[in-house]
Order: sequence, then structure tokens, then C-alpha cells
Amino acid sequence: MIHPLEPGLDKTADAIGGKAAGLVTLMRLGLPVPPGFVVDVDACRAFLRDGTMPTGLEETRAALDAVSVRSGAAVSMPGMMTTVLDVRGPISPAVRDVFASWNTPRARTYRTLNAIPHDLGTAVVVQAMVYGDRDPHSGSGVAFSRDPTTGARDPYGDVLFGHRGDDVVSGRSATLPLAALEDREPATWAELTDALVRLEKHFADACHVEFTVESGRLWLLQVRPGGLTARAAVRVAVDLADEGLIDRREAVRRISPQLLRSAAVPRMLAGDRLALGRGASPGVATGRVALTADRAVRLAADGPVILVRPETSPLDLHGLAAATGIVTHRGGLASHAAVVARSLGRPAVVGAADLRLPEGTVITIDGTSGEIARGNPGLTPAVADPHLHRLLAWADDISGDRSPRGGEERLAAARGTL
Amino acid sequence: MSDVLHVLRCTGFAELARVADAAGLSEAETESGLIDLAVDGLVTREMGAWGLTAAGTAEDLRRTAAELAAAGTEGLVGSAYEKFMVLNPELLDLCSAWQMRSVDGVPTPNDHRDTAYDTKVLELFGDLDRRAEEVCAELAKALPRFGRYRHRLGAALERARGGAREELADSMTSYHVVWFQLHEDLLVTLGRPRG
Repeated sequence: MIHPLEPGLDKTADAIGGKAAGLVTLMRLGLPVPPGFVVDVDACRAFLRDGTMPTGLEETRAALDAVSVRSGAAVSMPGMMTTVLDVRGPISPAVRDVFASWNTPRARTYRTLNAIPHDLGTAVVVQAMVYGDRDPHSGSGVAFSRDPTTGARDPYGDVLFGHRGDDVVSGRSATLPLAALEDREPATWAELTDALVRLEKHFADACHVEFTVESGRLWLLQVRPGGLTARAAVRVAVDLADEGLIDRREAVRRISPQLLRSAAVPRMLAGDRLALGRGASPGVATGRVALTADRAVRLAADGPVILVRPETSPLDLHGLAAATGIVTHRGGLASHAAVVARSLGRPAVVGAADLRLPEGTVITIDGTSGEIARGNPGLTPAVADPHLHRLLAWADDISGDRSPRGGEERLAAARGTL
Repeated sequence: MSDVLHVLRCTGFAELARVADAAGLSEAETESGLIDLAVDGLVTREMGAWGLTAAGTAEDLRRTAAELAAAGTEGLVGSAYEKFMVLNPELLDLCSAWQMRSVDGVPTPNDHRDTAYDTKVLELFGDLDRRAEEVCAELAKALPRFGRYRHRLGAALERARGGAREELADSMTSYHVVWFQLHEDLLVTLGRPRG
């Protein structure tokens, strides 16, 4: 079945996928979403069963000019399925490609690893293209309602002027901090931050959006709650309770003992943040920047080194082994560099496209949050985190047990009574 | 001695035992070859490990291009490379899944206490390896030296199945490291940039 994207569309994420359900939520809140429609999960199942394509695809599509065709399953499978951008003319081949990408060996492996049933299928979202590369008042980005690494209450994210969204994700181009939007497009900035506030109220949670600005006009392309590090999740749960968006019992319910254990990993103190990539191998490391593997080996004789590479090849392996920490400009959490860094037990940040420093500069990297800072800002152990202490005190209020014991136990006792 | 030179081009700095294993030669043969190459200024030995000099890198590029031209199989290697690049992200997903797990949506190091999960990952490695075997067979048909990767990948998987679980993604002789070198070899052979 094909359903126009509109505020009145009353279908669950199981039927139309998480992406379309999020777009409907955006529309209900009166937020700007490019017009389009969603081909539901049932249509995908029919295609996977016997190759049947949904009827009315091209007729529905005729109302739009160039379109984007994106997958959107009920369960997030990031990067696993096909996206086709800027389609003009018939879209059946693109929809067929997205359906078929549900069953690539890689997607099947991902589902097996994450215990997602193979018969779920994906919806397909078709929307009018919006162009972040149209003119100087255009761009694309990702915006978090709160800092995803610390949970601090400021909007956070990246923006890339004059480019489409796929350039932001690929890390091919250096992005600017989201706040650059405030200087260049103040009206769009105001509209975006207002949207984030309304979305937080709706989800009662921190959330993030993908957006495009086309000739000064804001469009939201996706919304998702969460996406925080463990430490940030603790802070956000406590802050949301303080702000009255959730109660204290809900705050305790949101933090599992396993998440608390992750939050206990020592983290870098907020310092002069030079770049934010993705934390690929946990731990904090401080050292002098080396830009080649050979330099890393030589510099390591005089003290700790952080090897900074565009990406890595086997020719870098001896440098990776000699370094205390690793940064790459390109590549994701499943890149050769990330796998090797974890195998060596070295903290690593990948996809830090913006980091350009002269050799010898002292930096600190946090392989949990992806933060990179100048110098050595120091560590903050979890025991010093005031939000964590407040959350655990609330847990004790719920369980009625104030005896001295570990945080995971205190949390588990409270959650047992919820 | 193109073998040892090219092996070093794909492994990066490595001690003798690893070079010999990658080349499929005895350590004595390998060392003899390395010494000859060192005399010609193509390789160097630093802190116990052998690696290429800049001249060695240039010479390998020349020899590899000549080898491919003589074999006349650039098309075959190219099409096998396309198939390799379909498998590559899946292999990297599997290595990451072995090392990290998602706990409430937050990536956390795999503590390997959940044996059912680890067994599942190992089985998925086996499944991918069967598909990799076909790609390696095509490559070996195009250039016989690629046959060595099939042997090394299979051996790493066998060691992991035998209990040496670090041989999947966590050692210098792991399935991932051999795969990483195969990836490099394909790029060098076809003269393509990474990424």
C-alpha cells in the first residue's frame, strides 16, 4: 500500500517504518517536511515473496518532480540498505532496489547479529528532493537537541553549507559546528532550535534531526530520539526530570545497570574542543600528533604519540602499534582503523574530518565520545559526576534501601520495584 | 624475489616470521630474499622488523603493473575486486560485532561472557568465508599469487574455531589483518587509491 505523508496518517512504525513515522510526527507538530509518500512494509513483504510491485507507484509519484527514495524499516539498520537520490522519471526501479537491498548478505548478517527477524521488511520513503547545494543560503546537517557526548543542554551538531546531506554523512567535506548557522542564517537557526525544543517535549527525550536548508528555507528529513553516550544519557535523564518532562521514576527506568557500567568509564574533561569524530575504541589518550606511521614510531621513543591519518592501510600498522591513540579523518565505526585500534587496545576516534594540526601538537582524544581537545584537559571519573549521584539517590528513594553498595546494585534494586 | 618485495608492500613493517608466513616460504628463504633486496636498497630493517624503502615501493609498483600486464587479466582482477568490495563492509561489521556490542543502544566492549553470541559471530565469519573463497578462487585464476590469501584466511579461521578466538580480529595474524592486506594488495595491483 502507498500512503501520502500527512499529519493524519495513522499508522505505526511497524507498518510504515521508523523514518516515515518520524516524518508524520514532524508534520503533526507543524514542522517543515518535504512532500511525499511512503510505500509500506506489507508492500515490501509482497515483493520479497513473489516479486509483486505495489500498484499506483508512478501515478502517485507524478505529483512530485525529482525525488529521493530511501529505506526505512521499523528497526534501525543504519547504512545497510540502498538510498537513491535525485530520481527523475519512473521510480519503480529505485523502489525495487530498496526492497531488494533488504536481503543483501550484509543486511542479513546484521539482522542475525542483532536478533532482528528476516521477514520484517522495510518501508520506502519517497519525497521531493531538497537541495542543500543550491546556493550560498543552502546546506545540510545533523542537529542534536543536547550535546550527545556530555548531555549538556545546548543544541549540538554539524552543518555543511553548499552541500547535500550525503556529503555530511560521508565525511568527505569538513563540516562546521551547528552554531555557524546562527551567524549565517539566523532565522533558520531560530526555527531549527525551536523545532528541537518542541520535539523534546513530544518525545520526552533528547533527539536529533537531519536537516537541509534550501535557499534559506528549513526542511527536516528525519528525527530520532536518543543517540547519546552512556554518560550523556545519565545527565539527560536527570535534567529531563528536573525540567518536568519526565518524573524521577522514569529517569531511573531509562538507565539500565549495563548502561551505568558504560557510564563509569573515565571520560575526558571538557576542554578546548578541536573536533568531534566518532568514538571507535574506548579510553582516553594524550600525546603529540604524528602524521605518518614512521613519525609515530620515531616520536614514540620520547613519549606518547597520537597518530592522525586520513585513513589507514597495512603500511600504518607499525605506527598504530607505536601510538598511544589513533585518529582518522575518514571512515566509520566499522573501518579497518577502528578494528585494528580495538585489537591493540588503543583509544581511537574516526571520521574527525575537521582535525588539521601540525605535527607535535599535544592533544587528548576520548574514544568513547569522539571528542578531541588541545593539550591535556584531564579526566573525569564517574564517581565525580553529580548527575550520576543524583540518579542513584533517586534509585534509593524508590527501593527504600540506603545501605552502602555499588551503583549497579542500587539501580537494579530500584528498577526491580518499578 | 618479487614475492617477498610485494608481500612487504601489502603487510607493512613485519618481523621475519610474518613475512615468511605471508609469502608461504621458509624463514631461511625469506631472509635470504630480504637480504638481497636490502643490498639493492629496496627494503630496510628497523627495530627487528622489515619494511620497504621509498625505492622499494616504486619498484614494487613497477613490477606489479608489469606482472598484471603480462598476465593480461586486469579485467578479471577488477571484477573480483568489485565482489571483494561487497564483502568488505560485511567483514568489518563482523569484526566490530566481535569486539563491541550494543547495550541499550550504546556501543560497549564485548566481554565475551555470552558464549551463544560469540558462537553466532563465529558462524557468520564461516558463512562470509565461504563467499570469500569464491572471490579468492577468481583472483588466483587471474594471478596465482592471490591463492596464498585463501590459505591464510582459512588457516586464521581454523585457529579461531580451535579456540584461539583472537585470530578473528584481535591479533597480527588474524582473519582481519590478512583481509586488510588482501584489500591493500588489490588496490596496489589495480593501481587504485583507498577510499
